[in-house]
Amino acid sequence: MQRRTVLMGMAAAVVAPAIVRAQGSDELRIGAPLPLTGPLAPEGQKQKRGYDLWVKEVEGAGGFEIGGHRVPVRIIYSDYQSATPRAVQACDQLVTQQRVHALFSPFGSGAAKASSSIAERYRVPMIAPTASSREVYDQGFKYLFGTFTPNETLTEPLGNMVMAAAPAIRRVAIFSRNDLLPLALSAEMKKSAVKRGLEIVFDEKFAIGSLDFASALTQMRSADPEWVFVGGYVNDLVQVRTQMRDLGLKPQVLTMIAGPAYEEFTQALHRAAENISSAAWWHPAVRYEGADIFGKTENFVQKFLATYSALPDYIEASAAAAGAILQLAARKSGSLEGPALRDALASLDAMTFYGPISFGPTGQIEKLVPPVFQIQGGRPIVLAPTSIAQGDFRLGIT
Amino acid sequence: MQLAQVILNGLLLGGLYAAMAAGFSLVWGVLNIINIAQGSAVVLGSYVAYFAWRYAGLNPLLAVALAGPLLFGAGWVLQRFLIQRVIAAPVLITLVFTFGMDLILNNSMISLFTADYRKIEGVFPTVPLSLGSLTLPVDRLLAAAAGIGAAFALHVYLHKSRLGRAIVAVRMDRQTAELMGVRVEIIYATTFGLGLAMAGVAGCLLAAIFPTSPLNSAYYLHIAFVACVLGGLGSVLGAVAGGLLLGVVESLGALFVGAEYGTTVAAVVLLLMLFTRPQGLLGRAGYE
Amino acid sequence: MTSRGRLAIAIIVIGGLACAGLPLILAGEPYLMRLVTMFSLLLVLAASWNIVGGFTGYPSFATGAFFGLGAYVAAILQAKGVDWRLALVAAGLAGGVLAGPVGYGVLRLRGHYFAVASLMLGTILKELTTGWSDLTGGGMGLTIAGAGGDPEVLASFALRVSLALAVLTVLLGAAIKWSRLGFGLDCIRMNETAAAGIGVDAQKLKTYAFILSSIPSAVAGAVYAGWIGYIDPTDVYDVMWSVKPIVAVLLGGLGTILGPVIGAAIFVALEEIVWRNVLSFSAGGLGVLIVLLLLVLPAGVLPSLVSGKTRS
Repeated sequence: MQRRTVLMGMAAAVVAPAIVRAQGSDELRIGAPLPLTGPLAPEGQKQKRGYDLWVKEVEGAGGFEIGGHRVPVRIIYSDYQSATPRAVQACDQLVTQQRVHALFSPFGSGAAKASSSIAERYRVPMIAPTASSREVYDQGFKYLFGTFTPNETLTEPLGNMVMAAAPAIRRVAIFSRNDLLPLALSAEMKKSAVKRGLEIVFDEKFAIGSLDFASALTQMRSADPEWVFVGGYVNDLVQVRTQMRDLGLKPQVLTMIAGPAYEEFTQALHRAAENISSAAWWHPAVRYEGADIFGKTENFVQKFLATYSALPDYIEASAAAAGAILQLAARKSGSLEGPALRDALASLDAMTFYGPISFGPTGQIEKLVPPVFQIQGGRPIVLAPTSIAQGDFRLGIT
Repeated sequence: MQLAQVILNGLLLGGLYAAMAAGFSLVWGVLNIINIAQGSAVVLGSYVAYFAWRYAGLNPLLAVALAGPLLFGAGWVLQRFLIQRVIAAPVLITLVFTFGMDLILNNSMISLFTADYRKIEGVFPTVPLSLGSLTLPVDRLLAAAAGIGAAFALHVYLHKSRLGRAIVAVRMDRQTAELMGVRVEIIYATTFGLGLAMAGVAGCLLAAIFPTSPLNSAYYLHIAFVACVLGGLGSVLGAVAGGLLLGVVESLGALFVGAEYGTTVAAVVLLLMLFTRPQGLLGRAGYE
Repeated sequence: MTSRGRLAIAIIVIGGLACAGLPLILAGEPYLMRLVTMFSLLLVLAASWNIVGGFTGYPSFATGAFFGLGAYVAAILQAKGVDWRLALVAAGLAGGVLAGPVGYGVLRLRGHYFAVASLMLGTILKELTTGWSDLTGGGMGLTIAGAGGDPEVLASFALRVSLALAVLTVLLGAAIKWSRLGFGLDCIRMNETAAAGIGVDAQKLKTYAFILSSIPSAVAGAVYAGWIGYIDPTDVYDVMWSVKPIVAVLLGGLGTILGPVIGAAIFVALEEIVWRNVLSFSAGGLGVLIVLLLLVLPAGVLPSLVSGKTRS
């Protein structure tokens, strides 16, 4: 019967792919599960751009140098559709079936933490280019490395800067997306504020996917804050800022993480973006002279601009850095074996276009100093660290 | 005063909700189909407005003239040749069917347009109007007025035009309408077309104030549901009342319970409504 | 021996062999183990949904709500040091306890209204879970304590537990269908008003069905949490956990005992093929499957294979 045949055919089609196994030990295989569809797709695409640029650079240099000869690099992507459990499964599949030598973690702290157990079990080094929360690194794992410093390294410098520019500020409002990274950042912001004797007059969360913030902002307006801190992603922050303007909410200082770093932010807001302050783990304006494949930061920025016609943001830079870091470690270890590669990463102490790389005992990066910046004249201006400062802090939000 | 501002915010949102719910309510009332793809249809309308603005500088409020007919046509064809085949099936089948349609539409948009949020800006004055101590953003005011206006236009059409009255007749008693010479398949197709057209109109208005992305569709569908049930099925005026009420309830909920609980409060109100007065505020067997 | 008796024995024997044997046969094949575990979990959800949606004819979209509830109850308890076995039981109990009063209220509604109300349940639970972050971790999610260890062992273990749960749920479905409760539910499905006329206490029976349906779904959520090791509200309360079981049962045959088994198998197979090959449109692919299925095979595979018989 026709339907029976169809069913048998489908059964056969399922079994067939499982029989195919990845071949080839003369190449470096890196597994990179990414949210290429679903709510996190924009961030997933950024990571991918960073990786692809690095691969392009490696190919241009003739291949990945290991143990004296050069091999091609292949990043194997897997779309986990923004669902963390699928990310974990994807990691498992990449290790056991595709036999990757290293993993680049999925986007964000939650998925990175969940997937790191796969890396640990199979002893495959994993570099997490987008995981900042300390909790990600608190499982005592040896095979996880992250290129974002802990969240308080963003909020503390901001606290110092704001207090120096406006010592009379007392009232702080905190508004955060109910999501892993924004919540963690807001918690740190609260600590930084309380430490400086400031009063938290408003502390609320908004649901993921919210489009309207009128009620919360009306409440915030009644609390009359002088410094407003908002944690969220680009579209949230653009909406919040727009509605703040609609409701006439004009604090002295407006800090938003993590959106002002992106060009889309300033493009969407035009003049409304003026004087918004932020911090990020990297910025195109920093200047480092690295020992990695990109070398100088300017070189990386130029290459990115040439390939994608846009300036790189910190996610894209961090992803490319993950590749560059892996390269430096492999040069040291001379081998692609998991434990050897892992040890090389753990003992790495090098300068890259991204910044100084050395990993602490938990695997999180240590020496990096995240830049603080502010939108002035429609462009992000770096204010800290002082070695690369381009301007001074300005007060007042219209 | 804070409370007054919050209520005003809710009413402004509610005007938009009215437009979203009106078409949804019509389809549910006449065809007895819950169109799960409604949210995605609204998003599609938003994209029409966005691209019209980006490539032709068209004001989103005017883009309704584009999105409305476009989605009407799409809806008409979709119903006549696809949905009509399952129209007599039980609720489970039609619900899952429109769910499948939604998956296709939503993911097609993600594939075509990506999930990135797109914002229309620079079209409306950014300085809000003041009414005493209350602030009224201009874009929301215009969008809300347009939304309520669109719903009213639909209501008038249903009562004044021949086709509109035929739709009402089919809603009240399909068999008798058929006996009176009404061609029910055409009515069904037209109604669904109107439902999608309203979604398209709502989408354009929403694009004026919210960023556009396929990720919004679940939220828009949720709104259409709740506003419909609150206001009463099959009644366009009910959808308006339900939309306004929902806007206010959500705003007050966010104020009193917490900013992240707006949706929950609306869902709880919906459940309470279903338990106590499922026909909604203004719902009746037909239109009045 | 009656045909029912034969079927029951067949389920027990085959199910028991699968539980004992598959983890051994598939050892060293993590991909296939994962696939069969997903199949088992889907089967549990499908078979339990079938009780309310198939036997009773009430289009419930609440499966995901109980799945998520079970996941969180188990995760929270395990975080407090409770043994996993107790956590599974607690999850099932939590599902049942919630299903009682909620079901009683929601089951007074019919058709669309019931469907919408059941859908809202998941939404509300999701929002409450996200909001109560002190207990649940809120938007940051929850890592399941003690979920680490040897991946082979965990995979094998998860497979065994989910297979066992699946067999039990299918047996539960059979037991209900062949009992007086099942007869009553069938009457309700065909004509609720007439059923009341012959003395069927519809409200009571519907509520029993709802409760019985919720328990395996909640336990499935608990198993899922332990298997994956990390849960967050957006994932475990996803509406897909409510829709996929329905599609599976529609595929296999609404209201039958083996329908969920066949449907879940076909569904998982199709999903894997699509996910592997059509990366960026896989969810859309599911939509296409649904539309085609409902247009072409509205009765499902099983009834169509049994020649001459159709169900509506």
